[in-house]
Amino acid sequence: MSKVLVADAKKCVGCRICEQWCSMSHFRTGNPKKSRITVTRSHEDYMDYPVVCRQCVDTPCIKACPTKIDALSKDENTGAIIVDEEKCIACKMCIKACPYNAIKVHPSEKYVLICDLCGGDPQCVKYCPENALYFLDREEADKLVAATKEDE
Amino acid sequence: MTKNGIAGQLLRVNLTTKKITNEQLPLEMFIDYLGGRGLGAFYLDKEVDPKIHGLSPENKLIFFNGPFSGTMVPGNNKINVAFKSPLTNTYSYSLCGGHFGPELKFAGYDGLIIEGKSEEPVYLWIDNDKVEIKSADKLWGQKIADTDHLIKEELNDQKIHVACIGPAGENQVNIACVTSDVFREFGRGGGGAVMGSKNLKAIAVRGSKDVEVADPEGLMELVAGLYPNFKKNPKAQIRRVEGTNELVRGINNAGFMCTKNFSEGTSEANKEFEGSLFREKVVYNDVSCYACPIACGKNSAIVSTKYGAVKLEGPEFETLGLLGTNCGLTNWEDVLHVSAICDALGLDSITAGGCVSLAMECFEKGILTLKDTNGLELSFGNGKAEAELLEMIAYKKGIGADLAEGPAYAAEKWGAPELAMHSKGMTFAVYDPRGAKGMALTYATSPKGAHHMVAPVFGGEMAAGNRFEEKGKETLVRNTQLNFAAVDSLGFCATCQNGFLRADQLKAFKLVTGYELTEEKMLFNAERIFNMERMYNVKNGFARKDDTLPKRFTEEPMAFGESKGQVVDLETLLDNYYAAMGWNNDGVPTEEKLQALGL
Repeated sequence: MSKVLVADAKKCVGCRICEQWCSMSHFRTGNPKKSRITVTRSHEDYMDYPVVCRQCVDTPCIKACPTKIDALSKDENTGAIIVDEEKCIACKMCIKACPYNAIKVHPSEKYVLICDLCGGDPQCVKYCPENALYFLDREEADKLVAATKEDE
Repeated sequence: MTKNGIAGQLLRVNLTTKKITNEQLPLEMFIDYLGGRGLGAFYLDKEVDPKIHGLSPENKLIFFNGPFSGTMVPGNNKINVAFKSPLTNTYSYSLCGGHFGPELKFAGYDGLIIEGKSEEPVYLWIDNDKVEIKSADKLWGQKIADTDHLIKEELNDQKIHVACIGPAGENQVNIACVTSDVFREFGRGGGGAVMGSKNLKAIAVRGSKDVEVADPEGLMELVAGLYPNFKKNPKAQIRRVEGTNELVRGINNAGFMCTKNFSEGTSEANKEFEGSLFREKVVYNDVSCYACPIACGKNSAIVSTKYGAVKLEGPEFETLGLLGTNCGLTNWEDVLHVSAICDALGLDSITAGGCVSLAMECFEKGILTLKDTNGLELSFGNGKAEAELLEMIAYKKGIGADLAEGPAYAAEKWGAPELAMHSKGMTFAVYDPRGAKGMALTYATSPKGAHHMVAPVFGGEMAAGNRFEEKGKETLVRNTQLNFAAVDSLGFCATCQNGFLRADQLKAFKLVTGYELTEEKMLFNAERIFNMERMYNVKNGFARKDDTLPKRFTEEPMAFGESKGQVVDLETLLDNYYAAMGWNNDGVPTEEKLQALGL
């Protein structure tokens, strides 16, 4: 069974080390706008919110991608959404469809950035100093999310 | 695009002519001046006459990142601003952590120089190459958090980073700070007043450019290997749990924690503020600056106080000490409340605390009466009165207007100059120099007035068990001054040095810039920076006569506690230090020294 990436905002401190590793490991450059994971700090509720693709079962992004473009697919091994950079035109239909605001347009190219789980070894999870990111079997992830909700 | 860690350009904005230009900045500048603080010293010396008034349009705000800003180098996010200080009439610089510096780098700039003066309130909007001077009519008068919020609304992006001033800066209060991302300050020296004098309310930045490094694979390997050092380092770990307030216990027990305007060095009541109780009673989560694996920042809150709910990032140790124990406060409610007021109004909480404690001692001694204070009972420990006085300072009302000029001015006017605990017009940090003689030298010889981070040697002195000795402190202070001139310029946070040693800093320099910087050259450059800073003040007439401490520290023995009986022998310290620096006995760098440094 494929694993999913889960972010726990309660543990996040906003260091953005996840963004740095995402950008460096994919593009060999430091640029948060090229990171597929994004941390937003709210000065209103004093929290940091890491936002990243959750590998939805029903893949609204793939469904939203226009048929004639057909740039998105699901990796059968990892369950990650794979963007075909040649086909994608950055029409932003997937961005509108994503319920978690986890997709962004590459800052200088005409394609979108979606978490590819680093082929099964997500670097953000590996280097998060807070252990605020988990890479779990879907069943375990569901349990964790349910427990967190109960907490609240 | 940034290559080898360097964007290669600085942005210059003239608010008088509205002219906006880009200037080239070669890598060599980062080799010779290392980065933020060094480049600030270079440009201030080159472009701003040391004799001008800090609030004149000829003054400039010179912001510079270090070469690592925006890279994954851990604990590196400090951006420096250099300016002529209206508070101290000296060279001044201030460093700010958080996320503002890296964002400026992502926008494609190593630095930003603001010059001139706008006729009407404006703010600067830097969106990569697109730079606009926009009207700040709707922002003028707003407090810090509201300003940040309104700018993000207007520009329709919650992810931009804003540095701004509050009412204190607008009113050109000499102890006003510049605040980035609501809770991170370019704190000391009155940079906020300089910004206010230019009618510049804020600088908003958004960047989406690459920060490329010379050897990305090598850098990833180095950085991955550094993270465990932070986890293993005891200092880094206690900072994580208790923030900088981990220092309260040691400093209070050792009897040199500022208490009641430095009239005492310790108190039972101060124990309420020990780091463990801070964590237990008021902290509810941890906050990190860019690329920092420690996260010493703390969000604090008390849901129900006599002031209502209080919530803020902080207070860190210096704020707690100066606004808190030094004003005789004894509970977290009051401390959080006055900290939040400084944050909202844009006041440097350290100097503000030193101003309030001065007024409180004057009040208790009858130098200020209820008539002078408009009925305010300014006794030590009165948190409510302290809060009101802070407002009066920010809006220049009553005796607040005197303190807004600075503690030295106010104390002189009130006829009690000896009660202002300042050097060169800037008030002290927490550490009473009678309890750590190296700190006496740090404060007295600092180019920006009594600031602790120019050479925070107290920890080393305590560890060595020689904190009461004057002997040998010239070497300790000199070495620490040079180390900090280097790490401040490179953009490292002081806390992050615990776990990120010099050998690794030099490795990072090579991997990021491609240039092999030796330790020898790094320290040579640091010494040149420090001498440039000194010379800037010398050109304005500063000398040994200005490297002073209040009489309280040189003549009044500490009354009780673990530093009991101590006074500072400043003249011996200065004699030895000047000799160690290659300066003459009047504190002026010799011709030979300047020549050796290429100045």
